[in-house]
Amino acid sequence: MTRQENIARLTDLAYEQRVRLVKLSGAYSGNVHLGGDLSMTDALVALYHYGMKVDPKDISMPTRDRFVLSKGHGAVCMYIAMSLSGFFDYDEIVRTYGAVDSAFGMHPCKIRLPGVECSSGSLGQGLPMAIGMALMAKQKKEGHRVYCMIGDGESCEGAVWEAAMFASSYKLGNLVAVVDRNHQMMSSFTDDRYMHMEPYAEKWRAFGWETIEVDGHDMGQLIDALDYINASKGDKPIALICDTIKGKGVPFMERQVKWHSGSLNDEQVAEALSALAQANERSSAK
Amino acid sequence: MNSYKLNDTVNTRALIGDTLCKLADKNPDIWAVTSDCGGCIGNFAQKYADRYVDTGIAEQNAAGISAGLALSGAVPYIVGMATFVTMRAFEQNRSAIGYQNLNVRIVGYVAGMTTGGGSTHYAIEDVSLLRSIAGMSVISVSDPGLMMQALEYLADHKGPCYVRIGGNGTNTFIYDPETVKFQYGKGILAREGSELTIFAHGVMVKRAMAAADALKAQGVSVRVVDMFTIKPLDTELVIRCAKETGHILVWEDHYVQGGLATAIADALTDAGVTPKSFTRVGIPESYPGFGTDQQLYEKYGMDENSVVKKILETLR
Repeated sequence: MTRQENIARLTDLAYEQRVRLVKLSGAYSGNVHLGGDLSMTDALVALYHYGMKVDPKDISMPTRDRFVLSKGHGAVCMYIAMSLSGFFDYDEIVRTYGAVDSAFGMHPCKIRLPGVECSSGSLGQGLPMAIGMALMAKQKKEGHRVYCMIGDGESCEGAVWEAAMFASSYKLGNLVAVVDRNHQMMSSFTDDRYMHMEPYAEKWRAFGWETIEVDGHDMGQLIDALDYINASKGDKPIALICDTIKGKGVPFMERQVKWHSGSLNDEQVAEALSALAQANERSSAK
Repeated sequence: MNSYKLNDTVNTRALIGDTLCKLADKNPDIWAVTSDCGGCIGNFAQKYADRYVDTGIAEQNAAGISAGLALSGAVPYIVGMATFVTMRAFEQNRSAIGYQNLNVRIVGYVAGMTTGGGSTHYAIEDVSLLRSIAGMSVISVSDPGLMMQALEYLADHKGPCYVRIGGNGTNTFIYDPETVKFQYGKGILAREGSELTIFAHGVMVKRAMAAADALKAQGVSVRVVDMFTIKPLDTELVIRCAKETGHILVWEDHYVQGGLATAIADALTDAGVTPKSFTRVGIPESYPGFGTDQQLYEKYGMDENSVVKKILETLR
């Protein structure tokens, strides 16, 4: 498949992912972390459907790449991305999401949901776990990579930087931190009144990481970065910083603090689906 | 490995290192993880460099990395000062290790009021905290031989475990290493007796045995149970001792609330067994100051003489 064909394929998948996310939010009575789900959608689709070596038919395959969703509140986005390649049944996710005894909850639980590499939800804890996996792979001379998606707000947690310092010290070239740099936290914007993160990429560089900055909604840039990462044989861990928009694709949610998490009524579902469809038509026409 | 005998005093940290090396030699899944406490892991760093992790002074990172290692099939032993491996990393211990039921061993030494470091350095609520994590076992060793056996046992145990080691660097063999047997979840009857049972763990077991011996010389028969597995608790033994001896005294280098005393009180209450008396010997709700462990035990009435006196008053 050519680069252009891949871009078109992944763009379609990202559209489908957003549609499924909106439909699930409409069907579910509780709140869904829509803002961050929509900001990381493109990167997650690029990872699960292009960059990472994973097999829904063999979830324990030793050579698979590992994925740790450190921003665990984006679990539903991961479930849906995985459902698009057959890991899970989307209808079952919709039917059981958030219910008692469901495998599909607000934050991922590997005990309840085999196929998910690790349980997460408490921010700042994912990168150290990904390091443990990367250390083990390196010690066993296994060739797979460990990808860990973190939020930029999450990087207020000191544990992220303990891990960042460690990963470069231990030369974990098989570790990739994918940052959803959506410039928002739950109740505020980054680099505004409270936490000043810039120069954000410089921080990762200063901690000894090879740092790649991309537009996190540009599928071409994402796959180029993933091609580069997969070809890399260096011993520096890689930070792929995806500049994103919280709520991306649904205009009434974009860059809105109130849409960190929320519930959609029928009208909002219709409005969101219509906006997504229009944007998809525009992108297909390009 | 050296052979040891009763009453030998040994460098506990060296023994942790020796034991982990022995385990690592047999089992390629054994890892050692520390946060700048490598001195307590002996030659592990040299012998098994590719399975040795030092995070620098970053206990949360050590816990998280250990979780990741365990997710990949390793059996990591985190070794460090009890205060920091339990409290600084508490949420990782709970949400990364406990929640995922991982085979991580958290080995904390200098537990209790040791080192003279003051309350920043005393691990005196560690049992309470780790006991509260669902699925986490809690072992508090009283004897270097038991410690070695516990560390060995844990190479194959399923699920997370906290191992508490008291004493300020050295520990004495209180049992004959040839005969004492670590049995997970079972207390050791360290002294037989009929009028009162002392339940103790860690460094207090040695004192409890001495107190029982002193009381025996005065014609008072006191039983001593080394409850080295605090969780899961040997409930059957607790109830049997309460029924057989009536009076209960729990003695620990830990807050009187939340530790073994609370676990035993819970077990008795749940079983509807009311002892004739229930005495807690431990640290009251306060922040203990400086001094040697013995001085602090005397301050809080946790030394051997104070406990002998308490028991005589109870039984009078």
